[in-house]
Amino acid sequence: MLWTEKYRPKTLNEVLGNGKQKKEIETWVSSWKNKIPQKPLLLVGPPGIGKTTLAHIIAKEFSEYIELNASDKRSYDIIMNTVGESSTTRSFFNDDYKLIILDEVDGIHGNDDRGGARAIGQIIDKSKHPLILIANDFYSKRIATIKNKSQVVKMQKVHTNSLNAFLKKIAHNEGIKADPVAIKELAKRSTGDVRSAINTFEVIADEKKTFEMEDLDIISKKDDRLTIFDSLRTVLKSKTPKKVKDAMFIEEDPTLIMEYIAENIPREYEKKNEIKKAYENISKADLYFGRARNSRNYGYWKYASDFMGIGVSLSKKDTYKKFTKLTSPTSFSYLSKTRGKRNLRDKIAEKMSKKLHISHSVAISMFPYFEIIFENDEDAYDISDFLELDDDEIKRFRKKKIPKKVINAKEKEKIKNREEKKKIEIEKGIYIKKKQDTSTKTKKSPDTTQVKPEEKTKKDLKSQNEKNTKKTGKEKKKELLKDINEKNTKKAEENPKKEKLKDRKKTEDNAQKSLFNF
Amino acid sequence: MNGPWVEKYRPQTLDDIVGQDHIVKRLEKYVDEESMPNLMFTGPAGVGKTTTALALVKLILGEYWRQNFLELNASDARGIETVRNDIKNFCRLKPVGTPFRIVFLDEVDNMTKDAQHALRREMEMYTKTATFILSCNYSSKIIDPIQSRCAIFRFTPIKGQDILKRLEKIAKNENYEYDTEALETIVYFAEGDMRKSINMLQSAASEGEKITNDAVYDVVSKARPEDINSMITKALSGDFMGARTLLRENMVLHGTSGEDMVTQIYQDISKRVMDEKMDGKIYMDLMEYLADCDFRIREGANPRIQLEALLTKFL
Repeated sequence: MLWTEKYRPKTLNEVLGNGKQKKEIETWVSSWKNKIPQKPLLLVGPPGIGKTTLAHIIAKEFSEYIELNASDKRSYDIIMNTVGESSTTRSFFNDDYKLIILDEVDGIHGNDDRGGARAIGQIIDKSKHPLILIANDFYSKRIATIKNKSQVVKMQKVHTNSLNAFLKKIAHNEGIKADPVAIKELAKRSTGDVRSAINTFEVIADEKKTFEMEDLDIISKKDDRLTIFDSLRTVLKSKTPKKVKDAMFIEEDPTLIMEYIAENIPREYEKKNEIKKAYENISKADLYFGRARNSRNYGYWKYASDFMGIGVSLSKKDTYKKFTKLTSPTSFSYLSKTRGKRNLRDKIAEKMSKKLHISHSVAISMFPYFEIIFENDEDAYDISDFLELDDDEIKRFRKKKIPKKVINAKEKEKIKNREEKKKIEIEKGIYIKKKQDTSTKTKKSPDTTQVKPEEKTKKDLKSQNEKNTKKTGKEKKKELLKDINEKNTKKAEENPKKEKLKDRKKTEDNAQKSLFNF
Repeated sequence: MNGPWVEKYRPQTLDDIVGQDHIVKRLEKYVDEESMPNLMFTGPAGVGKTTTALALVKLILGEYWRQNFLELNASDARGIETVRNDIKNFCRLKPVGTPFRIVFLDEVDNMTKDAQHALRREMEMYTKTATFILSCNYSSKIIDPIQSRCAIFRFTPIKGQDILKRLEKIAKNENYEYDTEALETIVYFAEGDMRKSINMLQSAASEGEKITNDAVYDVVSKARPEDINSMITKALSGDFMGARTLLRENMVLHGTSGEDMVTQIYQDISKRVMDEKMDGKIYMDLMEYLADCDFRIREGANPRIQLEALLTKFL
């Protein structure tokens, strides 16, 4: 039998530490026993301090219990099927309560356990039975709503002294000759995690029935994996290739280790050519990471690892005898710090990308020019109007708002242009309308109906506009339209009847044509 | 339309395109035959790849071009999945009123190799309904199977004379007076990039009634991120941390690409040596490191790390 099972507390009193919390739980249980329904109990605290054990001890006080924990897949349906129904119904013949235990509620996975959190919420709301929820992380978002609906019991780490005493008791029980200093050290290193302390103790002492300081060293060396900072410190502080090579064996993304080393080179190394040499090694390491990625030959990683490890460590002449505060790569924190600005940048780039047929990177490369162009109020208005930029986005290019005067003037101009266009369209409209009258087809799209008359008028005016042919489409159109206006008004003044006749003739022609079509 | 001039004066027809006559001629044949193979346009920025593609599409698909045309920026932050889904959904439908549909993918060379292989599958699957136009800066970054499926058109930087003519035309059209010298300066700095030229022209024009040489120089110095200059000054004076922070600001916040950074650093130190503010020997050393840095970035290294390493050489 595993010691963790063998020495699992059977009563509330046997549970280590957390006196206040235990009392709170006792009251909760006795209230239920007196048939006074209580809010669900939410036990929160670090692993290995006896939360689940407590729940099982409480379960003994009730006639029945149901348990669901993290190893079960907890989607909405599963939770409702296993717990949901029994939570809302109460037996006719039996007045007893059933205890429902939901373990590791903060571990409900967003995707795999779809709706799991919702199901738990519903059970809390509807349950007629005592409910115990267990979670590790008090600040987890997943238990935010649950916290509000339940009585929260924050469980504390078990104190070193009580853990120490407990381990001694086990040693005595198992007939183990244990060095008290070693036991105390084990209690200390377990940082309040009773389960891991017992497990470690069992692994070392069960067979050989002794327990000394040395044993602890072996275990902790195996257990405590090197952190990224340990490797980093070795690279920067050591000059021994063997040590450095060992230090590079850690379970981290090697490119991340490279970022850490690069970040801290100028913090530790002081001489310029040391920094130069070290960074040259980083650059080479990076190059091999790139080659590995491109060729998918990850054998290149070993060279990269040597460059950034031994290479950097040997770039210093002497080891610095000083304390350097090592930091995680600031380029990452920079990323999060500048998120707002980058989002704004990307939003603008997206708009430009659509309207100007360019990629984001090209769009961003145009920003400096926009900054200059936007100094001019009218240009600023025109471009932001064209790109449909909002105020924040305009602010990216100019600090001052575009003056109201300019906006008003521009908007007036816009309306005027629109009206002019309308006027012209009405002129053309005569033509369009008649065309529609004759051809029974309904408007296919505004595009097709508009383009044709324009072409027609263009032909009419070609000779007159020879001077303007070099102008761009937009200008041409404007002038053309002006000409049409003038011409039409003139014509109308000179000979309105003739014009009308002409139009009628046209429609008749069209009508005949369309007749043929049918 | 009163938008940026680059869009306002984008050539709408093939014969309005400047400086790529040999390509235009061949493309016109496709229009006559009403069929075309997959195309790949390669060449530096601002020489008319997208413009040519758009003009060609409008000509070949006629009035239904909008319904039968899909434009995608392959290099943007979007994942390959999105690109593939967009392409799939688009290609599955039959062309409406046209013999085929056209997919235009911009900056394909910035797609990963995996993404390119996925794209290649799409190109094979929909040969009947869709034709692809791909554009890229470097065709060497495109996997061979894609290259072999495309007719490749190499766009060359536009000749100074051609750019000058176009700039004059635009300035006249916008009713700006100009010094020819000013336009020549633009042409010099734009290095065959029409988009850059027109952006510079509009920037210079926004400063006054007349486009003067001074205005252009003003734009050139303003548009070049001043951070680059102070970054190099900092590095040269031994402040590596300060220089590194500026570099990160530029790359992370402003999103300057590694290649652009290399170009700008090159321009900056060139200027220093031309103004006799930097020793020739030092310049040559730095230039060699810069060239190496450039090469490593193109080989797939992380541009930020490489540039940080480059900065240490300035110390």
